[in-house]
Amino acid sequence: MSLDAARRLVEGLDLCINEDDLGYPHFNDPTVHPFPLAKDGFRIVRDVKSGRKVAFVDGGNQELIGAPNFSVQLNRVYMGVWSNKSRVSVGMPRVEFFSATFSSFRNDKIFFETFLVPGSSEFERYLPEGKDVSFDSFDRSIMKGNQRADIDTVASIARRFAEWRFASLALKHLSKGDILVMDGTLQTGYTKEVNYLRNLSAAAKDRGIILTGLSKTSALFTTTGLSLLGAVSKLAEDIKISQEWYYPVAESVSEDHNVMILAVKLNRISERVYRYEIQREQFNSLNELQINEVLTALVQNSCDPTFPGYPYGLIDADAFARVSFDEIEYYRGIIISQISALGKLGKFNRHIRAIDAHSILNMLIE
Amino acid sequence: MPGNFEVAGQVVGGKVASIMIREKSGKNIELGDLLVVEDDNSSYLILKVFDLGYGSQIPQSARELAAGLKLEGYSAGIEFMDPALRNYTLACVKAIARVSNGVARIPKVLPPFFTSVRYATKADLSFFAEPSKNPVYLGKVRSGSKVLDVDVYLDGENFFTHHVLIPATTGRGKSNLVKVLLWSALDHGKFGILVLDPHDEYYGRNDLGLKDHQSARKNLTYYSSNPPTGANTLVVNLRTLEPEHFDGIVTLTKPQEESISLYHDSFKEDWIENIVLGTHLEGVDKRTLQVLRRKLRTSLGVSVKNGAIVCDSDVFSTTAGASTLTDVVNALEDGKIVVVDTSRLSDEAELLIGSIITNKIFYRYRELKGKGTLKDKPPVSIIIEEAPRVLSAEKIEQGENIYSTIAREGRKFRVGLIAITQLTSVIPRMILTNMNTKIILGNEMATERRAIVDSAAQDLSDEDRNISSLDKGEAIVSSIFTKFAIPIYTPLFENIASRKDVFNDDNMILT
Amino acid sequence: MFKFAHMSDIHLGAHREPVLQKLELDAFTSAMNRCVELKVNFILISGDFFHVGIPDLGVVNEALRKMLDVQKAGIPIYVIYGSHDYTPTATSVIDILDTAGVIMKIVNWRMIGGKVKLDFVTDSKTGAKLAGISARKMGLESKYYEVLDKESLEHEDGFKIFAFHSGLAEFKPAYLSEMETLPISYLPKGFDYYAGGHIHERGEFKLPGYDRVVFPGPLFTGYGRDLEVTVKGAKRGFYIVTFDDKIRHVEFSEIRNFEGLFYEYDVSGLNSLQAAKEFQQKLDSLEVKGKILVLKIKGELLGGKTSDLNFSEVKAKMMEREALYVHINRSGLSSKEYSANIVVGEDVSTVESNLLKENIGSVRVSQNTLKGENGVSIASELLKILRQETKINESKKEHKQRMVEEGLETLGLKEMFEAK
Repeated sequence: MSLDAARRLVEGLDLCINEDDLGYPHFNDPTVHPFPLAKDGFRIVRDVKSGRKVAFVDGGNQELIGAPNFSVQLNRVYMGVWSNKSRVSVGMPRVEFFSATFSSFRNDKIFFETFLVPGSSEFERYLPEGKDVSFDSFDRSIMKGNQRADIDTVASIARRFAEWRFASLALKHLSKGDILVMDGTLQTGYTKEVNYLRNLSAAAKDRGIILTGLSKTSALFTTTGLSLLGAVSKLAEDIKISQEWYYPVAESVSEDHNVMILAVKLNRISERVYRYEIQREQFNSLNELQINEVLTALVQNSCDPTFPGYPYGLIDADAFARVSFDEIEYYRGIIISQISALGKLGKFNRHIRAIDAHSILNMLIE
Repeated sequence: MPGNFEVAGQVVGGKVASIMIREKSGKNIELGDLLVVEDDNSSYLILKVFDLGYGSQIPQSARELAAGLKLEGYSAGIEFMDPALRNYTLACVKAIARVSNGVARIPKVLPPFFTSVRYATKADLSFFAEPSKNPVYLGKVRSGSKVLDVDVYLDGENFFTHHVLIPATTGRGKSNLVKVLLWSALDHGKFGILVLDPHDEYYGRNDLGLKDHQSARKNLTYYSSNPPTGANTLVVNLRTLEPEHFDGIVTLTKPQEESISLYHDSFKEDWIENIVLGTHLEGVDKRTLQVLRRKLRTSLGVSVKNGAIVCDSDVFSTTAGASTLTDVVNALEDGKIVVVDTSRLSDEAELLIGSIITNKIFYRYRELKGKGTLKDKPPVSIIIEEAPRVLSAEKIEQGENIYSTIAREGRKFRVGLIAITQLTSVIPRMILTNMNTKIILGNEMATERRAIVDSAAQDLSDEDRNISSLDKGEAIVSSIFTKFAIPIYTPLFENIASRKDVFNDDNMILT
Repeated sequence: MFKFAHMSDIHLGAHREPVLQKLELDAFTSAMNRCVELKVNFILISGDFFHVGIPDLGVVNEALRKMLDVQKAGIPIYVIYGSHDYTPTATSVIDILDTAGVIMKIVNWRMIGGKVKLDFVTDSKTGAKLAGISARKMGLESKYYEVLDKESLEHEDGFKIFAFHSGLAEFKPAYLSEMETLPISYLPKGFDYYAGGHIHERGEFKLPGYDRVVFPGPLFTGYGRDLEVTVKGAKRGFYIVTFDDKIRHVEFSEIRNFEGLFYEYDVSGLNSLQAAKEFQQKLDSLEVKGKILVLKIKGELLGGKTSDLNFSEVKAKMMEREALYVHINRSGLSSKEYSANIVVGEDVSTVESNLLKENIGSVRVSQNTLKGENGVSIASELLKILRQETKINESKKEHKQRMVEEGLETLGLKEMFEAK
């Protein structure tokens, strides 16, 4: 395609993105109350040292074998704890478990049911109930548009639920005033997921541990069609803020999403702004100094040059929770060897071949 | 086996030729360090570090960015999290010995994967036993730059008869090493060692030196053209010189060599005098005679005055020194160390003196072997500095000399060489291979290191970095008599020597 | 201008044989006479004036007669001990002559701060300054040289002579390589003249710092192989040195008071009978009258014993033909059938010394003083003592007692026994 076409495209797009009017944060949900975007809305993070520890929780999963009617996944959940830039060992294990989701037919419907197998018996208590991660295939919370959900999507939900459960049990290793940072928002979406969040919230409140969540990505908008975090960034640039800052953009008051939503910039040399959520009651109970303590702890953790402005604890948790491609092959091999040992390879293969054509096609193209 | 020990690192991969060890943070593993990994209950592997590199969980671009931020002044609020975990040192090591029940063998296995390693201690090296007979001390075992309290000895008989190469550039401690090993040899009086000393640094004329050894009176003899009290004068009578003494030292053409033979046959021990005086001899061309006169005058420092030969140099004489050569050779045969101060001599004169003495002892020992009595004699070794003067390929091509002869066949006759050189690469491979012990000191030149490594008794292909990083006093001993190349540190001579008691005989009566 | 005579290794009393003894004395007398004729200012004898510490008194008497003549001529005789005329355990003839004022020992030393300080003896007429170190057996004088205060000697002004009685390593002839010598570095530098002794071969040498080192050699023959060397033509005598503030001239003055003939015969390839016959035939053709004859027989007999060559008879025959003296050297003679112990060394003293050195190691003793070099020295001294003959007017009992006393003294046990 010609350069001229590209130029015309860019010029057209530029006209569509108009920053003259940043608008307001826009949320479809009436339970979310936005705050206006104004220059005086920025709060500079004052460097307030405290003894608060910061714990980061993340999970990871990968499918090992799959067919239209079953999916086997390897799941991991991990927590890393930091105090003033140093790693703290609290004796929390990295939890590993297999999840197997299979289709069943009853009441004239296809259900996706899941059972979980912990990697070690000591991990059992960190796992969600299998029945909680079993769904009607046309459950709206898992559907793909109007289509039935893919079974592997359902299979990966177990990991998400495990993160909440794991986090609520991990709180015992933290002290009052410490901060828990979940990877992603503190919003649930799947059926029954809210119960797990509730347990976590209650446990956090009980222990005085501040429950928060930080998202790498955000699909929030303003009333003028701009990305919300982009608009806040523009505002910050206009007033030339050189330090770390936070900007409360909205307050969400629903049961499954009871948070204060902030836009945060956690390192002055970074250009990235993230969505940071703090449990609403906890946020409101903190005075300004305490809020700065919380954010200072986060800022301290966001100084790593590999990704300035993003908490290193989340990079670390992701690295330990991630299931790498090398591991997929290894564990797949173990699973298949067990199938073979059972003498059921033929049976399993019949169903796996049903979606295997894609990988063959990909190989042909490559 | 040591019980509690501090972990220095952990095996994380690699292969036999290069095992990778991740260093525990703060441990500062060094090039040349000796590490130990337990193999099973009763054995352990000794590993030697031959390379170090950086390991990082952080991509290179991120590291460069971080460095750039710091360098350009943007590093406020930026620092690596978890630095010890994410940035670390990787050591490339090789197993050099497997010790089982106190016996060291060449290892043939990899260490168990992911096991911890620790620094070698004295107890791990207990197999370094002192040879029972006539040991020669070289120094202490070195691990990196750390010196362990483990002495390194080689059996003297093997050491001195199988030739030694000491490759070293200036300032690496070569003189100190030689002094230390000579000091050790003085203990025994069982090795005849001829030391050609071009810097007059071994005897200890004004400082602590070999003369201060308690057995110096018995086992040490010193020759100098300016001898201190009690030392011998280096003076050689011209009549004791033979034509073969000049082989490979003074360049002669075939006609010149033949002419010399004629003079020697005709005038016997007065051959030099007659050439220098220009005595005409049938069969010798006048021009050849003129050239020979000039060459002998130059190399011997002689001239003609009033029709008589006059020695201008202090070293050669027509009257004195008739028994010098015999005395030196007798001393060597008696197992004494003979130090010859050649600091005031020209290069050629020094080589000539060395050649004269060396010729005599070599052929005497050859004769004794023929008679079957050689085995009762102590081995003799000749220490020659700047060995390429006589052992380089170029020099040998011009004509063999006694040193190259000894290098090739001296072992049969219990005569050895200790060749000290900055340039190993110019010495022919065959000679280098015959030098069965190499005490390698630091060398910056890559070509030289290659030459040393290529001819070593052990596989030193990974030691290049180690050799280039050797500091003063540090060395690697590679010998066919050791299980592996031993890193050593030679203590300062001043620290191991001590002044002898001053002679004080109250009962002395002089009449 | 002044003159002095330098001689050494006179070895008066070395010879028992009357002819040689006379020649020995004659040589000495000739030398003294020449000194008087030449009006030398002093005579310096650098050791081994006499062959033993207590020589035959007849010899001493004759020597003394001549020395008194020299003294009357106003010529002092300066002396140091040699290795032969020194007795550690008793008074030697040198001491007596020194006490009598006929000669003067020039070794004056003091021990200061662990160093041997030598004082000069100044010759009153010439102002020449003399210093020296006497010899000891087995070259043990090296111990004194090691602690000699060289600096004070070197810094002394004036015309200086250093007398010593030792072989110097730098001037050792090749055939004497086994001999005990000192390195010249022991001697103080910068003297005008180094009057050496002990080496029975004439030589004049020079090395940096030592401009003139002179060994006169024996005056007559000394002993052992000297006779052979002399008969073969070696010049014997002494040196006359002319000097003022420095040396002006050095001249060798030969003493030749006999005619000699040397004949060498090789028996190789013959049996003893054949050799004896042929040897006699050869001798018959020699002109021997009035000569000192040195016969050297060497080689290996194919058969028969070496004693089959009747050397006594040979000697007798030569004497009948009026040879002055016959010396037979058969150390190189051997027989295939009969072999004897080979000891390297051609004269008695060297043979003795070598034997002692070779065997000292096999002597099992607990005392360190009896081992090694020291042991050899003590053994040598004891031999010397025990070799002494009965003196005139000495009874056997007295002789035995003297032997015991001197022996105990050598062993350092005199006091212990006296206490008992």
